[in-house]
Amino acid sequence: MTATESPRQADFSLEADQESVRDTFSAFFSRESPVSLVRECEPSGFDSDLWAKLSDLRVIAMAVPTAQGGDGAGWVDLVLLTEQWGRTLAPIPLAESIVATRAVAAGGADVPGEWLESAIAGERLLTFAHHPAVPGKPQLVQAGAVADAVVALVEDHLVLASSESELAIVRNQGRTPMAWWEIAGPETDSVVLASGARARELFAAAKREWRLLMAGALVGMTKGALDIALAHARDRVAFGVPIGSFQAVAHPLVDVAMDLEMARRITWKAAWWADRDPACEHQLIPMAYLFAEEAAVRSATVGVHTLGGVGFTVEADEQLFFRRAKGWTLMAGDPLAELDVIADFVLGSIRDNGALLGVPA
Amino acid sequence: MNFDRLELDESTRAFCGEVFDFLDEHLTEEVHQEEWETGAGHNVAFHKALGERGWILPTWPEENGGAGLGSLEAAILERELAVRYAPTITKGTTTLVLSAVVRSGGDDLKEEVLPGVASGDICFCLGYTEPDVGSDLAAVKTRAIRDGDEWIVDGQKMFTTGAQNCQYAFLVTRTNPDVAKHKGITMFLCPLDGVEIQAVHTLGGERTNMVFFDSHRIDDRYRLGEVDKGWEILMGPLNAEHGMGDGDRPELEQRGGMYGGANVEALRVAIEWAHDLESDGGCPADDPSTRRRLARVALDLEAMSCAPGPMGRIISSEYFIRDAADLIDLVGARGLLERGEHGSVGNGWLEYCHRFAQGTATYGGTTEVHRNIVAERMLGLPRSSR
Repeated sequence: MTATESPRQADFSLEADQESVRDTFSAFFSRESPVSLVRECEPSGFDSDLWAKLSDLRVIAMAVPTAQGGDGAGWVDLVLLTEQWGRTLAPIPLAESIVATRAVAAGGADVPGEWLESAIAGERLLTFAHHPAVPGKPQLVQAGAVADAVVALVEDHLVLASSESELAIVRNQGRTPMAWWEIAGPETDSVVLASGARARELFAAAKREWRLLMAGALVGMTKGALDIALAHARDRVAFGVPIGSFQAVAHPLVDVAMDLEMARRITWKAAWWADRDPACEHQLIPMAYLFAEEAAVRSATVGVHTLGGVGFTVEADEQLFFRRAKGWTLMAGDPLAELDVIADFVLGSIRDNGALLGVPA
Repeated sequence: MNFDRLELDESTRAFCGEVFDFLDEHLTEEVHQEEWETGAGHNVAFHKALGERGWILPTWPEENGGAGLGSLEAAILERELAVRYAPTITKGTTTLVLSAVVRSGGDDLKEEVLPGVASGDICFCLGYTEPDVGSDLAAVKTRAIRDGDEWIVDGQKMFTTGAQNCQYAFLVTRTNPDVAKHKGITMFLCPLDGVEIQAVHTLGGERTNMVFFDSHRIDDRYRLGEVDKGWEILMGPLNAEHGMGDGDRPELEQRGGMYGGANVEALRVAIEWAHDLESDGGCPADDPSTRRRLARVALDLEAMSCAPGPMGRIISSEYFIRDAADLIDLVGARGLLERGEHGSVGNGWLEYCHRFAQGTATYGGTTEVHRNIVAERMLGLPRSSR
């Protein structure tokens, strides 16, 4: 620390309006997406009524900047929203549609107005292809079976492509409406949102934004799965005592609770920096995503085992979390690949200025 | 929510300058070298220099030996001492105990010790655990038996770190063996004159102690609080040590958690090593597997910085243990070389961390005990059957 550098604050408290965002969506998802709905929507993993209710709340519009026709909520608000989505496993492709709509909104003048307006309003559902599309080679697209169009990078263009025919759901562990989609290039009637460097920039931004939103959702999943396991550990009696009094049962739950707290705080911090100065503290988004992904998987796994044999039955709600902890994320690839991104920041920065993550040189 | 750097006004910036100048002058290479050799966690000259500035009790008024600092300035001071790895273990135990002395000590006792604490002439250690007690503090066997205006103390304390530099121990004694274990405990600020102190050296290079009380007579004025009500007196400092302290201080980032200073430095050393050119012109930082492992440690550091309270206490030591082992593996044989040896990495820092990290899982109660605290107090799980 040099004489000009003052200490960083670590204030994780929510502002009153952020608390109200959290409480509003907590109540909304608890009310509108009970676990019975999650089950009813299997295996498709999509509920159009729930989607319509969220559209009435202008949830997609929240995520679009005001200059582009949206309501311009900040990233902290958005991760508070996705935490509640993940906590309740609500059957809608929220993160994909937000990043796809944001990309369309950022795409500029060539986007037909009705696409943008209807996407912001939630009348048309957009999704996002995580990997560059190769013409002639279909890729698995999250929500591909229920989306009206997909935002994809094809060669050097970011396109908005619709499918000629309705795509069939591919049955999958996460019970999501994924589909094989052969994404057409710009030579067809796809809308070109951007080309060249701008296209690659928007694609990279969408991937980053999806990770931040999903970090929030995974925090919520960690919480949802932990709550089920804690309730069971408090109530279930074996050998004459509640099983939560056994350290072999309690301590893994403590580990999950610690993961939850850390995952939530890294996610909030990443979101705060994304609002504040997106060019700063970039390593926080891959960190938040990877940490929260591992937390959610651990929470669901520990949870299934805390419930014992019952946890392995389909009657147990815990298995719904187990399926989705990976089922909602693997579309983006191996979570451990985030370490490569983190390494670029960590190992790059020491060559640049001798300082690492605020550590004195 | 706020993660910006603090905006410091002119007087606070000037204060930072004073802290830097002070540390440049007093926290010398000789002080670090002495600490390396003794592992005492304390340096008499450095501690007294802090006392002269009123920085042992920085928020106390100047007339009481403090420096009248605000809580922000005090937090800046503490953070800088940690970042620069100043030997402040005994300062830490002294101030931890002080609140109990102020709250529960008699006026003549306070008169006897407070000025000396502020000046750095008097230090306190923790007379907590015993050979057969471990983390189950309420099971102490050291007896204190009343004899008129005096008490006769018999027993043995373990891990009384800093006792050789302290004048008093914050002593947990059993005064009534016939009631439930939490109910027969009395606390003393026990003078250590004439008490046998035996050094115990740790894997981490620290010196701690065994302390033997053999019919050790102390005046009743050294008692803190009521007889047999010691457990309540003990809880204040104990909670603070468990990371459940007061919420008044400004929330400053503690990078890498409780043992962040050592941990952050370990990653910095490993990153520096990773950029050393090898004979073929490449460097370890070009290797994808090395990159991932360093990234994992960086992620651990971020997570540790974010873990609150007793969770932070568990995480900062367990991640430290894991990361220290991984970093020394990564570096290989050179990582084993000690401070001062030719070819050592980071002047032996990883070698040191790999040993030192182990003890952190026991300090202030083991991480397992802290898991029980989290389970029962934060998660509402039933009390463990132990």
